[in-house]
Amino acid sequence: MALEIQNITKIYKMGQEEVRALRGVSLSIAKNEYVAIMGPSGSGKSTMMNIVGCLDTPTSGEYFFDGEDVSKMDQDQLADIRNRKIGFVFQTFNLLPRSDIFHNVELPLIYGGLSSSKRRELAEAAIERVGLADRIRHKPNELSGGQRQRVAIARALVNNPSIILADEPTGNLDSRTGEEIMGILDGLHQAGNTIILVTHEDDIARHAHRIVRLRDGLIESDERVGAMVAQ
Amino acid sequence: MRFIREFLESLRIAFDALRANKARGLLTTLGIVIGIVAVVTTMTAANGLANAFRESISAIGTDVLYVSRSPWVQMGRNFDLRNRPNLNLKESEKLSAKLVSAQAVNPTTGTNRQVKFQSKTIEDVNIVGTTDRQMMVSNSVPEYGRFLTAFDVQSRKNVCVIGHEVKNRLFGSANPINQDMRIGRRRFRVVGVMEKQGTASFFGGPNFDMQVFVPVTSFVKAFGSTNRNFNFAVKAPSQEAMADFEYELVGEMRKIRRLKPAEKDNFSINQMNTLLDAYNNVMGVIVMVGLLITSVSLFVGGIGVMNIMFVSVTERTREIGIRKAIGARRRTILAQFLFEASTICLIGGLVAILLSMGVTALINNLLMPASISMPIVVVALAVAAGTGILAGLIPAIKASRLNPIEALRYE
Ligand SMILES: Nc1ncnc2c1ncn2[C@@H]1O[C@H](COP(=O)(O)OP(=O)(O)OP(=O)(O)O)[C@@H](O)[C@H]1O
Ligand SMILES: [Mg+2]
Repeated sequence: MALEIQNITKIYKMGQEEVRALRGVSLSIAKNEYVAIMGPSGSGKSTMMNIVGCLDTPTSGEYFFDGEDVSKMDQDQLADIRNRKIGFVFQTFNLLPRSDIFHNVELPLIYGGLSSSKRRELAEAAIERVGLADRIRHKPNELSGGQRQRVAIARALVNNPSIILADEPTGNLDSRTGEEIMGILDGLHQAGNTIILVTHEDDIARHAHRIVRLRDGLIESDERVGAMVAQ
Repeated sequence: MRFIREFLESLRIAFDALRANKARGLLTTLGIVIGIVAVVTTMTAANGLANAFRESISAIGTDVLYVSRSPWVQMGRNFDLRNRPNLNLKESEKLSAKLVSAQAVNPTTGTNRQVKFQSKTIEDVNIVGTTDRQMMVSNSVPEYGRFLTAFDVQSRKNVCVIGHEVKNRLFGSANPINQDMRIGRRRFRVVGVMEKQGTASFFGGPNFDMQVFVPVTSFVKAFGSTNRNFNFAVKAPSQEAMADFEYELVGEMRKIRRLKPAEKDNFSINQMNTLLDAYNNVMGVIVMVGLLITSVSLFVGGIGVMNIMFVSVTERTREIGIRKAIGARRRTILAQFLFEASTICLIGGLVAILLSMGVTALINNLLMPASISMPIVVVALAVAAGTGILAGLIPAIKASRLNPIEALRYE
């Protein structure tokens, strides 16, 4: 089991008002699963992804990641988990604008404390894998949206994480570029990675083997599709 | 290892940030530069003054007590000082005879006269009547020639030993030994030149390089003895015995003056420490006030850095979010901003030291001997780094505590 959340809630307090973004969500995801999270806007998809990705902590509920109880960890321990075990791909890419591709991709390894020769080896391999070896010294603003997202994927996979989380990775891209990105994610899945992605589009969700639908902070349905069913 | 790599990354980020905002960094640095230059210059000037003072009075031995009519350092007005009798040569001889534990008793007196050699004259030179025993109570010795001898004193010879500056101004580079010069209307033969002592005259102290020494006997013969006041320099048997010796000295002086037990001393005992203490008191206050005022400018510079660091943190909220999302810990973010602030301040500190060297050179040429000492440089750099860390601390803590989600969402 890669991860397991039990009865997770997340309540945002805005002055007097309370927003219940998650109202008791339980979910377990095994190694090498390929999961798409779907649901209407505001249903709590990003909130759940952030908790799963250890970027945020739930208001209540339990979370086990690789057998560790994450819900009791402090900020720095969570940073450590994010660094070693989780790769993020954001809708808005979130690259460092002043740094070149190489530095963007090697950054998680710096925070992981790897030597510069090891960093070079891993970062170059990751950049190679997303097909940007010829752009290694370019800055993000010299790349197209699709290329930027590939850099973000390279950064997400460079530390060989247990899971890759992608919150609407194709949301800012046209459908052709989106397909290219999905092609890369498919490849990572085939190579043994666990992938969770959020999307609004059925075409994108079709790449996954399991679709979890959220509505108003609760899981509405959880079904296995395609290849996963066939297995 | 991990810590070192995080540290290097923090350093790299700090430099990148500074490079990206050169003009801003420069202006911020300027505030720090001005602050540090002000502080360093104040300290250098105070040091210069203290050194000059100490050097100029170093000729006064620390194991020597001075019997004088009045204290060197007077607090407030004291009217009975005026009614005190002068000290005279007879008393000096009596003291010399009675105070057997003294290593030496040297009477001196002084007046101001014009001195003249060929066409060159100097007005108001301090003429000191003294004896050969001056060599026992003073650390200052002739650079060449000789000092006055007991024979000079006994036989009232018209010979003189001149101060370093007197020699330069009257004789230039010529050899003054055995030349006849005039003191007032009298003719004196130069037998020696004292070594350079440095001057404390820029704050009203005496200029020991502008003195002329003559035998006290010849002095009396030339300039008269009526109403002349003497000072007695009395050398203690040892540094350790100073306190007992002073007690003994006061006792002998009271006997010589036939003072009744109820009567107060009508003379004063002085020593170098009295001067040093007085100087340190006055300078201490001046330096404190100076440092206080200059620290304010450094403080303002520090506020400038803090302000820029807040701007920097706000501007880079998203970047902080990204770094945190991929695993930067709090301390890493903290270090990043502390480095940025310290780098601004350290660069400021280095520039400030270069500028201070220039200012010191100016002071040296125009005002008084001064030099930047290594401790001052170290202190300045430490203050710069400290200011950076202090100014960067609050913004850096703010940055390190940012919630990654909120930071990523920041527009
Ligand atoms: N920081 C926050 N403060 C207050 N409310 C929040 C915050 N973040 C999210 N919410 C609320 O929580 C609910 C779930 O938000 P979430 O971002 O998870 O939705 P989502 O499913 O990702 O929607 P979308 O498809 O539009 O991205 C929404 O009602 C949102 O307004
Ligand atoms: Mg969302």
